Amino acid sequence: MWFSIALVLAVTFFFPIFFMVTSSFKGENEIFAIPFRWFPQDFQGFAQYAKAFDRVPLGQFFFNSAFMAIVDVVVTVIFSAMAGYGFAKFKFRGQRIMFFFVLATITVPFQILIIPLYVQVFKLGWADSYAGLIIPGIMNAFGVFMMRQFAYSIPDELLDAARIDGAGEFRIFWRIVLPLLAPASASLAVIIFLFSWNNFLWPLIVIRSQQLQTVPVGMTTFTEPYNGPPQWAVSMAVSTLATLPIALLFIFFQRYFIQGLAMSGIKG
Amino acid sequence: MITRKTSTPSFIARRQRWGFYFVLPTVIFFAIFFLYPILSGLYYSMTEFTLLKPPVFVGFGNFEALLKDRLFLKSISVTLGYVAGSTFPVWVISLFAAVVFSQKFPGREILKALFFAPVLPSLVVVAAVWLVLLNPSGLITTVVRPFTGLAEINWLNDPKLSPITVILVHNWTAIPFYMLIWLAGLTGIPEDLRDAARVDGANFLQTLFRVELPLLRPTAVFVASISMINAFQAFTLQYTITPGKGGPVDVNTTMGLLIWKYGFQYFRMGDAAAISVVLFAMILVVTAFQLTFTRGDKYSIQ
Repeated sequence: MWFSIALVLAVTFFFPIFFMVTSSFKGENEIFAIPFRWFPQDFQGFAQYAKAFDRVPLGQFFFNSAFMAIVDVVVTVIFSAMAGYGFAKFKFRGQRIMFFFVLATITVPFQILIIPLYVQVFKLGWADSYAGLIIPGIMNAFGVFMMRQFAYSIPDELLDAARIDGAGEFRIFWRIVLPLLAPASASLAVIIFLFSWNNFLWPLIVIRSQQLQTVPVGMTTFTEPYNGPPQWAVSMAVSTLATLPIALLFIFFQRYFIQGLAMSGIKG
Repeated sequence: MITRKTSTPSFIARRQRWGFYFVLPTVIFFAIFFLYPILSGLYYSMTEFTLLKPPVFVGFGNFEALLKDRLFLKSISVTLGYVAGSTFPVWVISLFAAVVFSQKFPGREILKALFFAPVLPSLVVVAAVWLVLLNPSGLITTVVRPFTGLAEINWLNDPKLSPITVILVHNWTAIPFYMLIWLAGLTGIPEDLRDAARVDGANFLQTLFRVELPLLRPTAVFVASISMINAFQAFTLQYTITPGKGGPVDVNTTMGLLIWKYGFQYFRMGDAAAISVVLFAMILVVTAFQLTFTRGDKYSIQ
């Protein structure tokens, strides 16, 4: 019985994804064919994908998205690990107040910040640039908490042994703490990549020129039918491509992916 | 520097300062890109500001104007309607799905992965796919035709139907995500507790409602509040899937969308900042609710 309920749930929820992928190989008219065709008969190969690259600089969009996501991941993981370790393993003046300050940032949704943040970026001269696109979103308080939780479990004896051997504090962080935080870093990295890759609102606001556009914003050309005759199959091809990196991450790093998402409680 | 505690050797005190150095970059970052914008946002909400000229202080003028602004008042009810539709059903169905996927049956992992797939695509992709499926004479219309008898349904262009359609599309991507959080809670319950209940003669539903759900209270509050906070900020789906970015006739113009419209279409930064302040206040109520109901317990059973 459980199996049949689960089967119904899985089929219902997975169907639109299946539809997206199969439609990207169909002919334009075949998508709306009645009766519904589960698999393309008018098989197009990658022709719809090629059309997408003809219409917009899709390669550039993918580069921009990947660049932003990778910088986001690297910076967030390293600085979150540093801060998490600092909060977990040291006692210093102002620690509590700094911790509550970082905690407070979680309670304020990004939506609230967009106006003043845009003004600030505008004044800095970063509007419509990689700096404006990437820097304001490069840290994440959630990462600090996650790393702090994991840093608590690092045995003090290990750190003290390194100190007795004469290692400096930064070297201890880089050579001992960071590798020990690798599993947590993997979870954090995967979800930061997901958020960054799928981020829509901030790139929409801050980027004007097409050359700097990321995939989610760039592909709205295909969802807004006012820009010309709708090309639904092309739109499905772009959608499939845009989802592919996330799908690969999910398939290969499922455990980290699920752990990270369950801890964050945010759907980008 | 004199050490604070005389009992602490100075080299240890000096070493503790490294903690400060480690957290410093993060704190500086949040001071620049969080604290400063929050404070300047509060200030902008009390100004008239078009970005090109410096802000002019107008006190609470923007807030008074909002009270008479039909579009703003409508956006509040649109947002509240969206919050209602995209939280309660999600809470119930995602719990149900988590109970299903916490049972043991063949093929569970693969079915769970398929069920989970809608979480992966960005909301723009979600919109693109559903725009095709929800074409007035498209597949969904055909599927429900035996019940409706209609050859064409304006899922997204009908002012009455459109908000419900948007909620259904949102729930499709949200339910598998919250299922995951419930599932993490459910699998954290020690097996002995379930066994003990069974030995005492409790059936499946009794075990679920009397043993497991009470233990999952922190998860229940977490799912309820996080889904609400996310729904209050709704923007991307409304922007990408509805006609004219929030239409028809603004039935999908949430507060999040209105902030963007006022700020970046009309460059009324002051008004947009004022809406942000109101939205923030509404979200704070949810956060306060979450803190009240989870005080004392951690987000886990242990």
